Amino acid sequence: MSDCIVVTSGKGGVGKTTTTANLGVALALGGARVAVVDADIGLRNLDVILGLENRIVYDLVHVLEGECRLKQALIRDKRADGLFLLPAAQTRDKNAVTPAQMREITSKLKEDFDYVLVDCPAGIEQGFKNAVAGADRAIIVTTPEVSAIRDADRIIGMVEAAELPEPQLIINRFRAKMVSSGDMMNREDILEILAIPLLGVVPDHEEIIISANRGIPVSFDENSLVGEAFRRVARRITGEPDVPMLDLTNGNGVWATLKRWVGWAPAQGVAG
Amino acid sequence: MKELINRFFARDRAASKEEAKQRLKFLLIHDQVDLTPVQLDAMREEIMEVIKRYVEVDDAKTEFRLERGDKEVALVSSIPVRRVVTRAVSA
Repeated sequence: MSDCIVVTSGKGGVGKTTTTANLGVALALGGARVAVVDADIGLRNLDVILGLENRIVYDLVHVLEGECRLKQALIRDKRADGLFLLPAAQTRDKNAVTPAQMREITSKLKEDFDYVLVDCPAGIEQGFKNAVAGADRAIIVTTPEVSAIRDADRIIGMVEAAELPEPQLIINRFRAKMVSSGDMMNREDILEILAIPLLGVVPDHEEIIISANRGIPVSFDENSLVGEAFRRVARRITGEPDVPMLDLTNGNGVWATLKRWVGWAPAQGVAG
Repeated sequence: MKELINRFFARDRAASKEEAKQRLKFLLIHDQVDLTPVQLDAMREEIMEVIKRYVEVDDAKTEFRLERGDKEVALVSSIPVRRVVTRAVSA
């Protein structure tokens, strides 16, 4: 049974594309066949995050306009078996696609793939409507900031209005240090406000910028904490029960070391 | 321990996340009902004007705010009454 999941947020810059790329990689490494679809027509970036930008010949709009077959436009990621990218057109805009066409494309992809992940553009206009059109469910990406959570709340309402099931949440750019000093909203604070199920918490780390520089998603890196966060989210997406939350506490500082040494553990750990 | 130390240094400044949370809750309520804080103030003043024609209220303890429930936003108000101003209302 295959599943089309739209990754959305309302606000731009919270990490939708990074999340889509990493979940695509993690799901594929877990053995699933995955198509990641860039629905950000005119401002494509999923190709760059995945490091596949030099291999684009055809894109989603070419497929819709009958210039090529769907299979010709799909770029196979040689690093992960079963992972394919359907790039967006860069020289067109959101109006080049209709929701009906997106439904058609995603349902065709679902015939061949276990998971179809749609990277939604920022905003609530045509691009959003196209991206959610073919989706069976939605993942909301937010960061622990007032502006991102406000927009996430708005998008949750729009996902419900689109008659999709209750969306699930990924909290991105989480900084355990700031949370423990009271300068960042924690998991409970955010869940209290957004009131949707949590799929995972992804720590903020400079690795993400390096991986974007290189076009190699961190989910490929077995030693990366951020990669592990995405891999756990991917496992939860597949329905694996009881995937433990990742310990995001800064474990190498002086205090953490001292705490371990005296055997003192925080009453309320910071976990993702 | 780290928390204690942090708290010690941050004693005279409230954790900014609380501020974020409060602002966010306020924002979401006003987004949802599409009523600006200015409009809410104006509504409160008009309502209070009417109430004060009948009873004397404790202004300092009066609460008047929007609250977010599961599905809808409620107008929640608590207006302590000191005494009745007049009974000469009829006719």
